[in-house]
Amino acid sequence: MVTKFSHTTLFVLDQDKAYNFYVNILGFKVNTDATMESGYRWLTLNPPEQPDLEVVLMPVLHESMIKSATCPDGFDEESRNAFKVLLEKGILGAGVLYTTDCRASYAELKAKGVDLTEPKEQFYGIECVVKDGCGNWFSMTQPKEM
Amino acid sequence: MQLTPDIYQRIVAAKVYIDANYHEPIDLEQISQQAFLSKFHFHRLFTKVYKRTPHQYLTQTRIEAAKLLLAKEGISVTDVCTMIGFESLASFSLLFRKQSGHTPQYYRNIAWLKKKLAKEEPKRFIPHCFIEQYKI
Repeated sequence: MVTKFSHTTLFVLDQDKAYNFYVNILGFKVNTDATMESGYRWLTLNPPEQPDLEVVLMPVLHESMIKSATCPDGFDEESRNAFKVLLEKGILGAGVLYTTDCRASYAELKAKGVDLTEPKEQFYGIECVVKDGCGNWFSMTQPKEM
Repeated sequence: MQLTPDIYQRIVAAKVYIDANYHEPIDLEQISQQAFLSKFHFHRLFTKVYKRTPHQYLTQTRIEAAKLLLAKEGISVTDVCTMIGFESLASFSLLFRKQSGHTPQYYRNIAWLKKKLAKEEPKRFIPHCFIEQYKI
């Protein structure tokens, strides 16, 4: 039976910039950092307290992923442009980040220059929206204590 | 009771102080001073916000820093212990094992092996369907 995610993918425009956001600002841990012969960098991270989940930072514009004679299943020009447009607009909601205290995380991330909205009370807890600066946004939520 | 934005700023300042100074011999007195709060009041508020005591957070930060240093070459376990602010190798080893489940040396061996394999056989770490689909 399927019980949980072991890997999940985040498509990003700039892998180095994404590394800086998730590792140096949010505190994710590097799980695997391996560079292929093609130059493609397989980079996966663990959320700070979730060591069994690997978040793959997938550089959508890397040349090895573009459709070609050696890569017939790669992204064609149209798909690549579609991804680029969506990521540049920053309209892809990528998930929910759990925080022990939304207002404290807001204060810390704001001071670090992260683009995020003011925390708001929702019926399920306190939430704000965080942008990773690489094309994705997240809900950052402190669930209501039952 | 909801904390004021000012109190949040102070608690976060103390947390950021720990992040930047975990390798120094800092204690609750110094940490609470960053928040301009009494030790008792600060301890209560920090624990409420981060769901762990300041001491637990400091220890956790030190152990995570130790993991990064142990994965590097050319630094002995004893040096790692000193570099992250522990005075005793025995207490470092004990806490490291308690938090990570392994001794520092075992953790280092595994980290080095993984690094070696990632360099020599990078595809070993990638699910095959990703390699097939994206030709990476």
